[in-house]
Amino acid sequence: MKRDAPDVSAALLMGLLSNVLLRSQTAYEPRAGFFAALLCVPVLAAASGLFARGFAQPGVGQAAALPLAALLVFSCVLEILRLAALLQRLYPGSIRLSAVCLLLLLPVLYLRRGSALSQCAYAVLCGSVWTGVLLLVSAAPFLRLPNLSAHPLTLPQLGAAAADQLTLYPEYLLPALCAAPQKPNPRTAGRLAALALGADVGAHFLLALFYGDAMFWQADPLHAAARSGGISVFHRLDWLQLAVWVIAVTLKIALYLYAVTRLAGGEERKNATPLRHFPLFIGGVCFLCVLFRKLELTAAFRLRSTLCWLLVGTVIAGGGLVSLCQKGSPR
Amino acid sequence: MPQKISASLQENLAYLQNNFAASDDFYTKPLQISGICCAVAMFTGVSSAERLCHLALDMLDRDPAVWQGGAGLCRYLLQQSRIPTEPTPAEDWQSAAEFLSNGMTLLFIEGFAGAVVLSTQDMPGRSVGTPLGEGNLRGAQDAFTEHLRSNLSLLRRQFRSGTLVAEIATARCRAKTEYCLCYDRTLAPPELVDALRQKLAEIEIPILLDSAYFASFFKQDKLNLFPAAAYTERPATVCARLCEGKLAVLVAGSPYALVVPGFFAEHFECLDDYSSGAVFAGLIRLLKYLAFLLAVFAPGLYVMSVAFTPEIIPLQLLAKLAQGEQATPLPPMLEMLGVTLLLEIVREAGLRAPQSISHTVSLVGALILGETAVSAGILSVPILITAAAATIATLAVPSLYEQTILFRFAVIVLAGCFGVPGFAAAAVTVLAMACGSEPFGYDYLYPLMPPGPAAWRDGFVRSIWSRLARAGEVIGRDEA
Repeated sequence: MKRDAPDVSAALLMGLLSNVLLRSQTAYEPRAGFFAALLCVPVLAAASGLFARGFAQPGVGQAAALPLAALLVFSCVLEILRLAALLQRLYPGSIRLSAVCLLLLLPVLYLRRGSALSQCAYAVLCGSVWTGVLLLVSAAPFLRLPNLSAHPLTLPQLGAAAADQLTLYPEYLLPALCAAPQKPNPRTAGRLAALALGADVGAHFLLALFYGDAMFWQADPLHAAARSGGISVFHRLDWLQLAVWVIAVTLKIALYLYAVTRLAGGEERKNATPLRHFPLFIGGVCFLCVLFRKLELTAAFRLRSTLCWLLVGTVIAGGGLVSLCQKGSPR
Repeated sequence: MPQKISASLQENLAYLQNNFAASDDFYTKPLQISGICCAVAMFTGVSSAERLCHLALDMLDRDPAVWQGGAGLCRYLLQQSRIPTEPTPAEDWQSAAEFLSNGMTLLFIEGFAGAVVLSTQDMPGRSVGTPLGEGNLRGAQDAFTEHLRSNLSLLRRQFRSGTLVAEIATARCRAKTEYCLCYDRTLAPPELVDALRQKLAEIEIPILLDSAYFASFFKQDKLNLFPAAAYTERPATVCARLCEGKLAVLVAGSPYALVVPGFFAEHFECLDDYSSGAVFAGLIRLLKYLAFLLAVFAPGLYVMSVAFTPEIIPLQLLAKLAQGEQATPLPPMLEMLGVTLLLEIVREAGLRAPQSISHTVSLVGALILGETAVSAGILSVPILITAAAATIATLAVPSLYEQTILFRFAVIVLAGCFGVPGFAAAAVTVLAMACGSEPFGYDYLYPLMPPGPAAWRDGFVRSIWSRLARAGEVIGRDEA
C-alpha cells in the first residue's frame, strides 16, 4: 500500500490499448493478424528491450533524452488532434479543439505523480475491461460466425498485417525510463507487446464477426459497432465507449508528461512533475495543437512510428558501441 | 525564553496580581503550611476549591512530618506524600499559565523557585453520549466528548493493551490547545509516527477548535479535494483503526478523532459491516459504492443524455423526458444546477436554523417549492427526481458529503457544456484526484486499487470473519 517506486506498466498497457480503441479504420484480416503477431511480438519486444539496454549505457541515455522528449510532446499533440478529429466526426460542431485540449489536459494536473498515474491506470484498465465486456454482451446478437472470411490467406495480407503491427508506439520505449537503469526487465516489453497485439487481433476478430468483409470500409468501426447494442435503460452504448476513449487519451498524455519529466528532471523530480511547470506544459501543448491543427494525421502517425524506429536504431547502435568500447578499454 | 518563577513568594504574588487579577474567576490565597509561607492560585471554573481542601491542604495539616524550609516541603509533596501532584513542578510562568488553564492549582512556596502543581481539576462538561453523525445498529454506542482526558479514557477502555501510546502535546496556537497522538507502538509504522509527530509539532495555526483543522496540513496536494484523514466520533472505530496500525489524533474541545492515514474505502465501511453477516455487509457496501457513483454522476449523466445524446435513451423514456422538458423554459443544465443549489440551500438552512423551525424549513423547501415549481412549469419532474435521488444517495456516504457535492456540480457543468467528452473528463478528474491523494505516501485507493485479493477481502465487499482474522490488515506490513 505504500510504494516508493510506482509501477507504471498498467499505464503503458492502457496507452497501447488506446491505440487499438482509437482506430479509425481496420487494418488487416484477423487470421493474417494472428500469424503476423507471432512474428511481430518478438520483434517489438526485442526493439523495446534493446532500446532499454542501449539507453542505460553511459552517455547514450543523456544524448537520446532530448529527441525522446520531443517525440513524446509531439505524440501528446497527435493524440489530442486524433481525439478532436474523432469527436468532430461523431458529433460535428459540438466541441472545439480548445475545449478538447482543456478537457484532456486539466485532469493531468492530478496525475503528475508516478504513483497517481499507476493507480489511475489500474482503475481505467479495470473500467475498460468492464466496458469491453458490456459492449461485447450488448453487441453479441450481431456477431455472426459466417462473417469470417474463409478464403486462403495471401502473402500481401500477411504483409499488410505485419506492417500495421510493427508500428512502434512511444510506450514501447518508456520501460527504459521506468525500470531500474541498470537492469531493464525484458519480460515487461514482451508482455506489453503480446497484450497490445493480442488485443488488436482480438478487436479485429470481433469486428470481422460483426461486419464481415465490410469492416475494411467502415469508418470508426468500434464506435459504429457500439452503436448497435444496448443494455438496461441505455439504448446505445457508444457514449460509454467514447467516455473510455477520452479517459484513455488523458491517461496517455499524463504518461507522456511523466516520461518527459523523468527525462528532463534530476533525482528530486523523478516521480512527480512540479506544479509550477504545468502552465508551461498546458500552454505549450495547446499552442502546438493549434499550430498543427491542419496536419494530416495518418501521415503524422506514420512519421512518428518512423521516428521511433530511427531513435531505437540509433540508441541500440550507440549503446552497442559504448558497450564494445567499455569491454575493449583496459581495466 | 519564558520568564522563570521567582523564589520570593512576594514577587510571585505580585506577578499573579499583575497578570491574572483582572479575571474574576482567578483565585489566589496566601496561607501557611507548618509555618512556611505559601500561596495557592487557581481558576475557579475549572479547578475545585473543595477538592484542593480535601485532597491537599487537609492532608498536609494532618501530616506530622517536619520540613526544612520551602525546598523540603516541595520535595516532600513531589516525592513522598500521597497528595496528587504532577511529577515535576512548574518552573516558568508560561507553563504555570498552561497548568492553571488546565484546571490545576499552583502552590507557591517561599524559598522555592517554582510551583507545585496539584491535580484539582473539576471541569464542567457534557457526559458521554451516543454518536450523532455515525448511525450504527450494533456495537458500542458511546461517542467522544469535548474532554481530551475523557476521550482518552474511552479509548483506553476499548483498547486494553499496554501497547497503546498516547502522546499529549500543546498545539502552536494562540489558545494553547492540547492534542493527543494515539497509536499502537507494535503496529504503527515508526516512520509514519515520526512524520505525523513532526508534522503536528510544526503546524502553526491561530486557533484550533477541531481535529479537522489539522487535516488540510496533511495533504500532499493542496488542490486535491479528497481528505487525507478520516474522522470518527466513535472510540470503537478509533480502536479498530489503531489495530490496523493507523494513528489517531484527538484534540481538546473536539468530539471527533482524526484517523491518519485515511483511505477512500474507509468511507464506505461502518461498524455494522462487521457485526452483520458477510453477504449482507458485502451487498450493503456495494450499494454504498453505487450510491456514491449515483450521487456524483447521475445528474450530469441526465443532463448529458438529454442535451447531447438523446439517441442513447429508449424511445418510450425519451418521450416522457421530452414531455417534461418541453414545458420548462431553462436548458437542462441550468435546471439541474438550480435544483441542486436549491436542495443545498434547504439542507444548509435546515442544519443552521434553530431546531424548532428546521423541520418547517425542510418541509417548505422540499415539498412546497418543488411542487410549486413543477406546477408553474419552471422545473421538470425528471430533473427533480434525479436531483432528489442524487441527494438521498449522497447521505449513504456522509463522510464524503463535501466532495460529492463539489464533484456533482463539476460533472453537471462539464457534461452540460461539452457532452460526452465533458462527462468523461469530469469522471477522470474525480478518479485522478482519488489516485493523486497520497496521505503520508500511502495509496489512497488501497485496498481497491491495484486490484488484488485485499480488494475482495475487505474492500468492495467484506469477507467472512475467519478470513479477515487470518489476514489482519495492518498498513505497515506490505510496504515496499
